This record gives sequence, structure tokens and C-alpha cells, in this order.
Amino acid sequence: MNYIAIKMLMGDKGKYIGIIMGLTFASLIMTQQPATFVGLMSRSYSFISDLGLPDIWVMDAKVQFVDDIKPLQDTELYRVRGISGVEWAMPLYKGLIKARLTDGTFQTCNVIGLDDATLIGGPPTMLEGKLEDLRRSDSVIVDIDGATEKLGKPSPIAGEKTIPLKVGDNLELNDRRAIVVGIAKSTRTFQSQPVVYTTYSRAKNYAPKERKLLSFILLKAKPGQDLHELTLRIKQNTGLAAYTQDEFKELTYQYFMHNTGIPINFGISIALGFIVGAAIAGQTFYNFTLDNIRQFGVLKAMGTSNLTLLRMILLQAILVGSIGYGLGVGLTALFGYATRHTILAFKFPWQLLVFSGAGVSIICIFAALISIFKVFRLEPAIVFKG
Amino acid sequence: MIKFNYKLPVLAIIGLGFAVFTVINSNKPTPISIAVTDPASAPYKSFIAGSGIVEAQSRNIEIGTPLPGIVKTLNVKVGDKVKAGSALFSIDDRDARATLAIKQADLTKARADLSIAKATSDDARTLNNLAEAVTDRRAISSEELLRRHNTVSIARARVESANAFIQQAEANLADTQTTLNRLTVLAPVAGDVLQVNIRPGEYAQAGSANSALLVLGNLDQVHVRVDIDENDAWRFDKNSKAVAFLRGNRSFEVNLELAYVEPYVVPKKSLTGDSNERVDTRVLQALYRFDRKQLPIFVGQQMDVFIEAQDYAVQKGPAS
Repeated sequence: MNYIAIKMLMGDKGKYIGIIMGLTFASLIMTQQPATFVGLMSRSYSFISDLGLPDIWVMDAKVQFVDDIKPLQDTELYRVRGISGVEWAMPLYKGLIKARLTDGTFQTCNVIGLDDATLIGGPPTMLEGKLEDLRRSDSVIVDIDGATEKLGKPSPIAGEKTIPLKVGDNLELNDRRAIVVGIAKSTRTFQSQPVVYTTYSRAKNYAPKERKLLSFILLKAKPGQDLHELTLRIKQNTGLAAYTQDEFKELTYQYFMHNTGIPINFGISIALGFIVGAAIAGQTFYNFTLDNIRQFGVLKAMGTSNLTLLRMILLQAILVGSIGYGLGVGLTALFGYATRHTILAFKFPWQLLVFSGAGVSIICIFAALISIFKVFRLEPAIVFKG
Repeated sequence: MIKFNYKLPVLAIIGLGFAVFTVINSNKPTPISIAVTDPASAPYKSFIAGSGIVEAQSRNIEIGTPLPGIVKTLNVKVGDKVKAGSALFSIDDRDARATLAIKQADLTKARADLSIAKATSDDARTLNNLAEAVTDRRAISSEELLRRHNTVSIARARVESANAFIQQAEANLADTQTTLNRLTVLAPVAGDVLQVNIRPGEYAQAGSANSALLVLGNLDQVHVRVDIDENDAWRFDKNSKAVAFLRGNRSFEVNLELAYVEPYVVPKKSLTGDSNERVDTRVLQALYRFDRKQLPIFVGQQMDVFIEAQDYAVQKGPAS
């Protein structure tokens, strides 16, 4: 019987491919769109996840997300350091500073100032040079994306690609000299500005004159210390806000969820993908059943039970569903692979496989259901009509 | 009989496999960038953290000159150890030496004048003695006698005057000598030369200048000056233990012993390199002693200091 079902399905090549295309399309949209969305949202807190060493981030109580800098007084660092349960606490400067390139254009950069002695908070991977090179005078480390794109020198030949910034090149940050001593790889941020790493005291020199310049205090808890308890203690004793790495990610993520149109836009396109996919696949599957209604009628007339027919239709649905799903997620992965070095956001966690799998299953069940009702209500006599 | 179509199912399996591979491959955690050197960490349960700056126990003495002028010789260089009272540098003294020669000549002349006065006095006295030796009063007029007597008195007064001139000339000479001495600047205490900002031929200004001519400090014993935030000052206890770590290598650790606490809470400056520094907050400054031999440290270097203190949780109010 199963063989007959499969033969029935694959017999009409046009319909067969039609159903699978519909499901592939639905599965592709339901995977690729959320992947782009997740990728984009993870960029909002990529700066936090890139900084794996500290356990807790301390900042002004009114900070809403990672790019919302409300600087502190320098002495707050020592107050935080003086709280029991703190292994170490280090300053971090984060701010937007205008860089003047050799050709005279301006580019806003995300300047990160690391503690002078320990250089805690550095980029995750160094491609060229060492992090210690920041000890040299006027030195900065630039991220590879910024170096090749926005901070690159325009090519002498018009229309050619820009010449990437290299180790030894110099920049001008707020009228001050900066020498590139290293190239780093860091995860792209939401605004995709070039990231420039330097020491804390040098960053203060680059920064525009402000009374307070300390953006964040990075903190490591003593071994065995409960992080949540420590954040409460910091809040209570200093009046500053303290978040664990995950809490701060969540705060940033929630800010983007509530204050930008991104989730709604992506939600709409995912829903549209689902509806269109369901409509195409459902309708084609139903049409296919209608076309084969004679065969079902014959089977019914031959005395095949409804249960067997149900099993046949379900088998057909599962088969096209699986093929469509496999092709869809495969195409998504291919898309991700093709765009891995571009500016496009793409992140493919395992939850998305489950999500689109569930979506495709719902479409298949819906398509199978309407076909099953048709077959169940079928009079075997139809074969002999017409 | 329709041929069973394997193409699409196989493609689907490959697709799913690739998707699973992407999921596993692309969700590796970001590598953690580790610290270049381990940061210092407090050995106490509850403590006050502060940044300290190393200074000489004697503080840094900015040497000035009492008299302005061109620097003639410089007797020390940076890093020299000097004894108290040894010469540091001298100002051009040609003018003073010329004056000294004049004053010396004045003294010589005054001495010569005294000799003349003494000789005149002797002459007058001899003549007077002769006249007084005459027994017959008729042989000499009383007027003559009186005149010779007065001449003796005048000559004696001249000797006294000449003596006074000598004294004056000597005083003048001593004055010029003092001026000459003041042109050589001496070390007020024993110590090390930390900075030299003048060179022979440069003009040394008297009074306070932007940069000291010479900085002197006693490095035998150094202090670390710790800034404690005024918000933390209530937790500070003079008798509690303290430890300092060298920046850049936390294995250099030294126990501190309190020297004294500056009773005046000073405004802390946020060092931005700007010409006019802005006041950030006020800090209590505590000075600690430590054994210098334990650390390869230089004066002016920063250290991370931890002072044991009561916990924030102990919200102890003033004793009532």
C-alpha cells in the first residue's frame, strides 16, 4: 500500500515538484528570515558576548543598553573594587570618536579603552600583532571589518576596492595621532562602526572633553561568589547598576525588541512566509488528492479501510514535508555560507531548525487534513461515474 | 511502472545534513581574550581599594635659588646622592667678585689710614710731652701748651675714626662675601637628585617658577600616597592592614605600614592631560611606608593598594 502511495505521489512529476517547491519555499522563509533576525539581534549585544572574561558589568543606573553610555567618575572604580566578593575590577571606555582618514574623510569609530596595565577587554582574536603592542605610544588596534571597509584608503584607480588599513598606518582621532599596531577580529556590532581598541588613558585623551569618562567597570567575582548576590551588593552600596553578562545582554536585547521596529518587521515576513507556504503547499496537495480521487475511489471500492487510506495520505504528506524541509533548511545554510564574509547578519541556532520543522509540520498536517476529509467522504461509486 | 525518483529525497537529506553542520559549526562560543597580565586582587574579605603613587619620604624638594642669574657650574647630575650642605650649582659670580676686590681695597686703604692716624698721634704726643717736660713756664706760652695738648686729643680721635673705618670696610667685605656665598646653592638635606631642569648658561630665576630648577628627595625611605574616595573615608581605619601591588605584575606585593594620614581631604584631579584639570571628587590621602628593597619601584610610579576595612553591610553609625 505504501508503495502505491509513493507511486501515486511521484507519478505526477509536475504536482510532486509543485508541492515540494511550496514547502521548500515556506521552510526557507521560516528559517532564513528568523536566522537574519537572530543574527541582527545578536549583533545588538555582540560587544558584550565578545568580552568573555568579566562576570559582571557595572554602569550608571540609568543605562538602557550597551551603546547608551552614561559615564561615571573615575573614583567609582575604586569604590566598586572595594566591595567584598570582587576579585578585580577594571575600567573600560566605550565611545564614538571621529577618525580623520588620510584622504581627509571622517568616519565615526567605536573607540574602546582598555585598562592600561592588564588590557582586559581586548578583542577575542588577534589577526595581526599582539594585544601587548597597545603599550606602545599612540598605538591602536583596529578590527578587520573596519580596516578593510570604512577605514580603508580609497584606491588610486577609480572604482577599485579600497586599500585596507595595515599595521603601521596612522589615523587621526580627534586631532590626535594614532598608529595601527594590530588587526583584530571582533563580531560585528549593530551599527557596524569600525572598532578601535586602545588603552584607557589614551582613550581619555582621544575622547572629547567631558567631566566623566568612565563608561563601564568590568568585574570578576571571587571564585565561589554568587554573581546575583554580588550584583545586588554593588547596587546597594554604590547606587550603580550591575548586571551579569547574560543580564546585560538581555537588557540590550530587550531594548531593541521594545524600541525598534525590527521584531515586528521580521515577525510579519515570517508569518507571510508561513501563510504563503501553507497556501501553496496545502492547495497543491489538495489538488493532487483531487486528481487522484479516482484511484482512492478504486482502492475504497476494493475494500481498503479508511485507516489504510489515512496512513497513505499521511505518508505522502510526511514525505513531501521532509523533502521540502530538508531542501529549505539546506538552502538557508547555503545562504548563510555564501554570505559569511559579508555585512549580512546571519545566525543559525538549533532552535531555528525546530521552529521551521514545527512550521512545516503544521502546514503538512493542515494539507493532509483537508485531503483526508475529502477521501473519507468519498463514495466508491464515483469511479464508475462519468 | 514509474521509476522511483531518488533525486529530491537525497538532495533533501544533504540539505538537512548541511543545515545541521552549519548549526553546530556556527554556534561555537566566541574565544575569550585573556588579560595580558593578571590584575591585582585583594587578599582581604572586605577592603578599601585605592590607587597609590610612590613618593620620597621627604616629599620632593624643589630647590630654588636666593639670587637670580646665569648658571655658571652644575655640580650634580640626575641620580647623584648628595650630602647635606654640599654644593648643587653656582650662579655667575664675576660681579660679586669684582665688588669683593673693591671692598678689599677699601679695607687696605682704611688700614693704611689708621697707620697714618697712629703716626700723627704719636708725633702729637711726643711734641706735647716735650712741652710738658719744660719746667719753667716762662719758656713756653700757655697758648702753645694748650695747642699741643689739643693736637694730641685730635690725633687720638683720628685714630678712633680710622678704626671705625676699618670696621666698616670689614663689614662691607663680609657682606660681599655673603653675597658670593649665596651664589652657590647648597643641598638642604641629604638625598638623591631626582630632576635637573637647569644647565650651565641658563638663567635661573629666583622665586617660584613653573618647573623647579632642581628636585631633591630622600629615597632611602619611600612612601606610597593612597587616594581614598571621600565616600569610603568613613570605613578607613588607621590600624588596619594594607597591601600594595605593582602594576603590570601582581606577583610583586608588599605589606604597607601607615606613616600618617593627611588630615585635609583634597580634591582629586582627573588627569586628562588638559591644561586646566577638572576637579572630580575629593579624596582622603593616607601615606604608607614599605620596604623599598622588596620591589623594583621608582618614585612617581602608581600602585594598586588594598586596605582592610569594615564591610559596607556593617552600617555602623557614630558612637552615641
